[in-house]
Amino acid sequence: MGSFVARRAAMLVAALLVSSFVIFGSLDLAPGDPLSTLTGGRTLPAEAVTQLRAQYHLDDPFLVRYVDWLGNAVLHGDLGTSIAFRGSVTSVIGARAAVTMGLVAYAGLLIVLFGVGLGVVSGLRRGALDTSIVASTSVLAAVPSFVAAIVLLSIFSVNLGWFPALGAGEGFADRIVHLTLPAIALALSAMAIVVRVTRVAVRTEMGREHVQTAVSRGIPYALMVRRHVLRNAAIPVTTVVGITITSLIALSAVVERAFSLDGLGAALVQAALSKDFAVVQGISLVFVAAFVVANVLVDLLYAVLDPRVAIGSRAT
Amino acid sequence: MTKVNLAGAAAIALAALTVAACGKAAPSTSSSSSQSSQSNAAPSATSALKPTTPAPSGEAGKITWATYRDVGTIDPIQAFDYPENTVITTLCDSLQRQAPDGSIGPGLATLTHPDDKTLVITLKDGPTFWDGKPVTADDVLFSLKRAADPKGGGFYPAVFTRVQSMAKTSDKVVTVKLKQPDFWLDGELSQMPGVVLEQAYGVSRGRKLGTPQGGLMCSGPFKVGSWKAGSTLNVVRNESYWDAANKAKVAEIDFRGVPDDASMTSGFLTGGIDGSYPQGLSTIDQLRAAKDKVTVSKGPSFASDAIVISSLKGALGDVRVRQALSLAIDRKAYIQNVYHGDAQLPRTLANPGTWGYGKDVFQADWDKRPDPAPDVAKAKQLIQQAGANGKTITLGMTSEVQQLATAANAVRSAGEAIGLKVKFKAVSAQNFINFFTDPKARKGIDGFPTVNYPDYADPAAFYNTIVMPDGSQNYDAFDDPQITKAMNDARSAADPAQRARFVAQAGDRIMQQLPWIPMAAINTVLITSSKLTGAPVSFAFMGGPWANLLGSTGNGS
Repeated sequence: MGSFVARRAAMLVAALLVSSFVIFGSLDLAPGDPLSTLTGGRTLPAEAVTQLRAQYHLDDPFLVRYVDWLGNAVLHGDLGTSIAFRGSVTSVIGARAAVTMGLVAYAGLLIVLFGVGLGVVSGLRRGALDTSIVASTSVLAAVPSFVAAIVLLSIFSVNLGWFPALGAGEGFADRIVHLTLPAIALALSAMAIVVRVTRVAVRTEMGREHVQTAVSRGIPYALMVRRHVLRNAAIPVTTVVGITITSLIALSAVVERAFSLDGLGAALVQAALSKDFAVVQGISLVFVAAFVVANVLVDLLYAVLDPRVAIGSRAT
Repeated sequence: MTKVNLAGAAAIALAALTVAACGKAAPSTSSSSSQSSQSNAAPSATSALKPTTPAPSGEAGKITWATYRDVGTIDPIQAFDYPENTVITTLCDSLQRQAPDGSIGPGLATLTHPDDKTLVITLKDGPTFWDGKPVTADDVLFSLKRAADPKGGGFYPAVFTRVQSMAKTSDKVVTVKLKQPDFWLDGELSQMPGVVLEQAYGVSRGRKLGTPQGGLMCSGPFKVGSWKAGSTLNVVRNESYWDAANKAKVAEIDFRGVPDDASMTSGFLTGGIDGSYPQGLSTIDQLRAAKDKVTVSKGPSFASDAIVISSLKGALGDVRVRQALSLAIDRKAYIQNVYHGDAQLPRTLANPGTWGYGKDVFQADWDKRPDPAPDVAKAKQLIQQAGANGKTITLGMTSEVQQLATAANAVRSAGEAIGLKVKFKAVSAQNFINFFTDPKARKGIDGFPTVNYPDYADPAAFYNTIVMPDGSQNYDAFDDPQITKAMNDARSAADPAQRARFVAQAGDRIMQQLPWIPMAAINTVLITSSKLTGAPVSFAFMGGPWANLLGSTGNGS
């Protein structure tokens, strides 16, 4: 266990280092000027531009800026200063992290509950129910989250008025209400995929010899499903759920924008458009870290689900 | 049960896919709309536009105001764009005050000119900061010096180039000595450069002033409530506002960045957003139709839609080619396409909304000028004279912003109609900005479309950046001696009417020389919830008090 954690921690550091360099470099190569975001397209007097370029070290060579940034990040935990927000990147991230985490957690919960739940139902019951679940998930899997967002907004917010259209709300209950539509928009297509994978996994297990044997031995259906079908089906389902939930972190940008949520994803897009280096860098690293951590959790889950799987090795 | 939900959702999603497809197509103003059918589309009269909305009858609670992105700073000297200006005008007072109609009067202070090279700033009795401390000459001097300091990190030092010295001459008076007469400074002091901050607070916050950590200490009708970096900014009513007659009627405002047109629209329709001064909202017609929920008003603006001539080395270096191109543009069709009629034909490069003084003079000048009308025959003649037939001009543009793409296309069809070849250099929406900021991006192009505006109501404040040899938007050393002289004369003219005459003179000559080619004089659009009224529908929201004028309509709330 100890070596597993150490190995994973080293991997995390390596991933962060490499991605920070790649992100920094690609932003540097991309065209555009971070100062433009300050003025909304109007022309600044030349002296002001010179002053600002010096203040934000925009004219220093790439490697100098990267090493400076890295030094501050490692030594002081200082991820730099946002040009657009004139504040430290850590404060920008701090103010927004809760919204994105809440959104992804909520969507993840929906995926696990409905995705796995419907998949199991569909896998166990052949017939009309199964057919309709398969049909509707085929459609849902193809709906991108920005379309889902527009649809949900126009139906449940604009026309029915059940949910607010904007913002993340304050306090726990209010936040749940505000995040419901965004979480559904975010979860919908991933949920459909989880349903299908679960259904196939359950169906496969149902057809396997030991399950057939269990049935013929007269083991109660519920017990047989729980012990022999679900437990074995859990490994591929966990893999897919893990991957889809981590991918939600990146997808959240689209939904946050559509619902005007002050989250990390929306800030990342805005910052990338305005070339606000430090913010792009900071948020990307948070995302990379979240990816790595989520993967570690999935690996731990494998070991819990299947005693034959040693910690850290890939389950199949 | 779940099955029903899912199947239902699937059906809804399918239905909505088609809805979304229609919804996308509708607002994008089919660029090929019939050009002749809107002969009366663009009004040329200026009097029709009122800068105010009906006065409110009561107070209102907390409202949400949308800006196109989140506010970056509330430091006045770093405010240069819509979100920052919209917020700072609610928090701070300037030395002079811009009224909804653009006229400028005393704000925190009265300005007098004992002689042409002296400006005396005399503070009113009574102004106090949010913390109750009186506004003093020390605070004024601190704020002005901060704005004028080229190392201060602000955007406005150029405003103070004619200032020789600034000094406190009594508890209430700051005296500014000028190297040369400069009556433009008065106007600038109605805007961000003239905002007065508390010295003690400003010194203690240093570089953090105006950030979420540093905050601000101003004297305006609202004060900062809560604000986290890159997120909603909350302001609350200043209950002890020194100017009691102008105390705010709205208790609290959340300023929220809403970059997406669709979320802006659903925000208004669901009551999540109560107001906004949008810049070219593609869904405006949808909001206009929702009369029970939303009020859409239009009024005068400082903003001009124009084509920047960024290089005088190519074919457009010949004034006859610029004139020919301008003559060939069908502006009526353009205005109908892009602004749905919410703009006027530009008889001058500056928008009539910028007439903050000398209105009679500017109006008379406007009245005597013709509406720009296409005259392809005459344009072809000019091209022949210039020997420019078959020459190529290259326009910088982006096809991702509808207004800019339509403008570039309008110029292209005009150019091609008169025998020029017009090429596009298309860039992404994000990189369009580089045409303004990066000489390398401007290399090889002759011009590009823009919407541009001055800080206060004076056509000269706009022309200044374009025609003066040191103008910030004079990209290829345009220098017309007559224009430069008229502008300099205006800057030194104490009498507003006289100054207006010089500016109008410069404006006439600009229309003949065309350093930029005007496309439209656009209107300010104001959207509010139908429960709110009172906000000016003019560019005053960028430089003068506006939010304190808002209140409840008294019905339906």
